[in-house]
Amino acid sequence: MASLAPEPTAVSSTADAPILRLGGVTKRFGGATALDNVDFDLRPGEIHGLIGENGAGKSTLMKILSGVHAPDEGEIALRGEAVRFASPAEAKARGVGMIYQELSCMPQLSIAENVFLGRQPTSGGVVSWKAMRAAAAEQLGSLGLKVDPRAPLGSLSLGSQQMVEIARVVFSGAGIVVLDEPTSALSGPESERLFAAMARLKAQGASLVFISHFLEDVLAVADRITVLKNSRKVATLANAGLTKAKLIELMIGRDADALAESYAATGIDLPPPAAGKTVLSLRGLEAPGSFSDISFDLHAGEILGLFGNLGAGMTEIARALFGQVVPAAGEIALDGKPIRPRTTRESKRLGIAYLSENRRKTIFPRHEVYKNISLAHLDTLLGPVLRPGPEVAIAREQVGRTGVRPANPLLNAGNLSGGNQQKVVLAKWLTKRPKVLILNEPTRGMDVGAKREVLDLVKALKAEGVAILLLSTEPETVLAESDRILVLSRGRITREFAGETVSKDRLMEFA
Amino acid sequence: MAQQVPVGAPVGGQTAQPRSTGSALDWASRNARLLAPLLTFVFLFIFFSLVTDVFLTPQNLQNIVTQIAPIAVAAVGITFVLLCAEIDLSIASIATFTGVLGAFFFVGDAVALGTWGIPVALLIALALGLLNGFLVAYVGIPSFMMTLAMLTIARGLSVYVSEGKPIFDVPPVLKALGSVSSQVLGIPVIGLFALAVLLLGEFVLGYTKFGRYVYMTGANREAAEMSGVDTRRVIMVSLAISAVTAGMTGLLFIGRLSSANPAAGEDVLIFTIAAVVLGGTSLFGGEGGIRNTILGLLIFGILNNGLNLLPNIPITFKQALQGIVLLAALLLNVFALRIERVRARTE
Ligand SMILES: Nc1ncnc2c1ncn2[C@@H]1O[C@H](COP(=O)(O)OP(=O)(O)OP(=O)(O)O)[C@@H](O)[C@H]1O
Ligand SMILES: [Mg+2]
Repeated sequence: MASLAPEPTAVSSTADAPILRLGGVTKRFGGATALDNVDFDLRPGEIHGLIGENGAGKSTLMKILSGVHAPDEGEIALRGEAVRFASPAEAKARGVGMIYQELSCMPQLSIAENVFLGRQPTSGGVVSWKAMRAAAAEQLGSLGLKVDPRAPLGSLSLGSQQMVEIARVVFSGAGIVVLDEPTSALSGPESERLFAAMARLKAQGASLVFISHFLEDVLAVADRITVLKNSRKVATLANAGLTKAKLIELMIGRDADALAESYAATGIDLPPPAAGKTVLSLRGLEAPGSFSDISFDLHAGEILGLFGNLGAGMTEIARALFGQVVPAAGEIALDGKPIRPRTTRESKRLGIAYLSENRRKTIFPRHEVYKNISLAHLDTLLGPVLRPGPEVAIAREQVGRTGVRPANPLLNAGNLSGGNQQKVVLAKWLTKRPKVLILNEPTRGMDVGAKREVLDLVKALKAEGVAILLLSTEPETVLAESDRILVLSRGRITREFAGETVSKDRLMEFA
Repeated sequence: MAQQVPVGAPVGGQTAQPRSTGSALDWASRNARLLAPLLTFVFLFIFFSLVTDVFLTPQNLQNIVTQIAPIAVAAVGITFVLLCAEIDLSIASIATFTGVLGAFFFVGDAVALGTWGIPVALLIALALGLLNGFLVAYVGIPSFMMTLAMLTIARGLSVYVSEGKPIFDVPPVLKALGSVSSQVLGIPVIGLFALAVLLLGEFVLGYTKFGRYVYMTGANREAAEMSGVDTRRVIMVSLAISAVTAGMTGLLFIGRLSSANPAAGEDVLIFTIAAVVLGGTSLFGGEGGIRNTILGLLIFGILNNGLNLLPNIPITFKQALQGIVLLAALLLNVFALRIERVRARTE
């Protein structure tokens, strides 16, 4: 069925002549400049890393390339020919494919249909479902995803959905493939398989742009790296000899060494277990098909890290605590009293806050930032009559605290960059101090500096006595501030780390 | 915070605030959802004022108000339901049923409640609305199907209760409320009543937590759920509100007509939804509101009335023409919203 995955458009040109060049691109949204006179070029058969802080303009630059936005100034040259794409469809027709930061799949459609969205294989004008399913299964298989292509996409975990989206673009035969933070929803092994697929595409002559906040990954896969800062290009550098600290210096320009420090290799020493008051305790919690025999205690002023790969059941445990899944067996106790929340509202009132990993399920893109933030606390923070004044004032404070840029609570949330949307969602749950704070991938899509700030915020909450459950598929996030760490695999707790030295490798061993 | 530290480079996208100057166009596209129906309204108002002599007379304006007032009340409830991204097809039948019940209890052949029949009839409408809401929100029947079933049930109950015959006696308060001659300062009382319901709706939607929950549930139900909003309850209550306002509409109708006819009132459904959508409230939830509904009602009322007054138009063609003008107004809305969407195109 390989015939359904056309070879990337062959590129025959002299070695270093760019296949694509963006010259002097400027883009403004209203009065704000998102890109200021940016040059960018892509060579045949290269992987080009694109990095920069949240809101630096990475997504906007690539959306100009893929026909989502029109530039206000500047030009695009494809194989030396000036082009202007009026829509993503036009760009696609010219061999430019893009995987967007925000998932753009159709959850109701089947997995196979999503892989072949807009290019179903037909025989005599009729969609050949059988061929499509077989090809989808094969393509996803090569990315390591073994699923029934007839199942609806929405039934997959977020990471698997991301893999499907990747397959759609990667196997479309596009000669230029842009990946905007493709790994932020993936766990380690999946990312590795994606990198392998990217390398295969490159070997076939395709050119790829890889946007990521995981600078190690960028250093590992990219041939050249372009750094954007404050809407401008800082530099395009060959990868050879670059270090993470150097990249951070170019991106942010301060604390480079501190931020580049990685717990992953060296390992950290967990503090000796200090028994605070037990706030939340789970005993033998079970939900068939998701997790079983989950028991642990969470104390006041403690950060308990939960680490596992996708499908380990972490999200389902969080959902059970937040009243979205009623467990089949087992007990949950809050402050010693058994609870059995059946709605999110009930959990919230009990003092449990949950930040979901799926931004599509947390953000209201067409509503103002302040409404996004206040929603969780309307019943407690404000009087019976809503007035924009106090509401905006509260939001402004939270926006400042979490470093949302631009710091304007009146903007629509959808107009913020991906990382800044994530900060808005976080701000919502920080507005009122909860008893138990469950954070599922809280730093997803954030740049190194912002990640550090968020972890500092979490640390401050811990100091105030909040019991924090931190879920992540990224070892760094769990290692950074956790007091204890539980590793999950296939719905069970496989190892508890407490009062000992732990490293990325140790965590992975049990995942 | 990291990004607040100045880093030398001049301000760019990250720190630039949206400019407030030179953005009349920006402002317009931001408010397209209100401006499009407003322009339509102004245009139609001026048009009919110029081409007919009768349109702008106080008498005729009073007529318009009396005509749209009952619809306006049901429109408030429908606005809640559409903002939640649901639909209620049962409003016309519930209106008729409530009207029939009001008269039935008043006449008292079987159950004599006198004027107390009015609140009892409204309570029955509320019960039907809660049933709609419960089965939609908690059991998971799509609102389109559920309210379609309720449409049939309520219609059947009207016929059953009245034995299929109109009831020609209705509570005097309703007659007084519905008559064109009851006026305060030249404004028909029924219009003031409708205005009061509209303002109450505006208050609830715009200034209470429940109203905010309605908007956010419609905008992104999962995200509302993830913020600890009990979206099922929000949807159930919205459908209940819709049934109660529909019931009030039914009672206003029997007052205006001085009789309750189980076979009447079918067009309330189309009129109400048309008026609300004309006003710019999205059928997909989360956007619009009572201000839009008021504009939609005015457009609808003027159109209905003005086309009757136009000379040289065969009366038989009127309905088709009405549909055509409605279509034009809807196109204008869609067009205006497309401009807004392009501006707000997001990640
Ligand atoms: N549709 C839009 N309307 C208004 N402003 C926008 C829009 N899209 C992006 N912006 C603004 O443009 C700037 C650049 O955003 P962009 O999404 O390109 O950042 P990014 O580098 O991809 O950041 P991240 O790492 O957080 O994804 C931001 O200040 C953002 O708020
Ligand atoms: Mg981005």
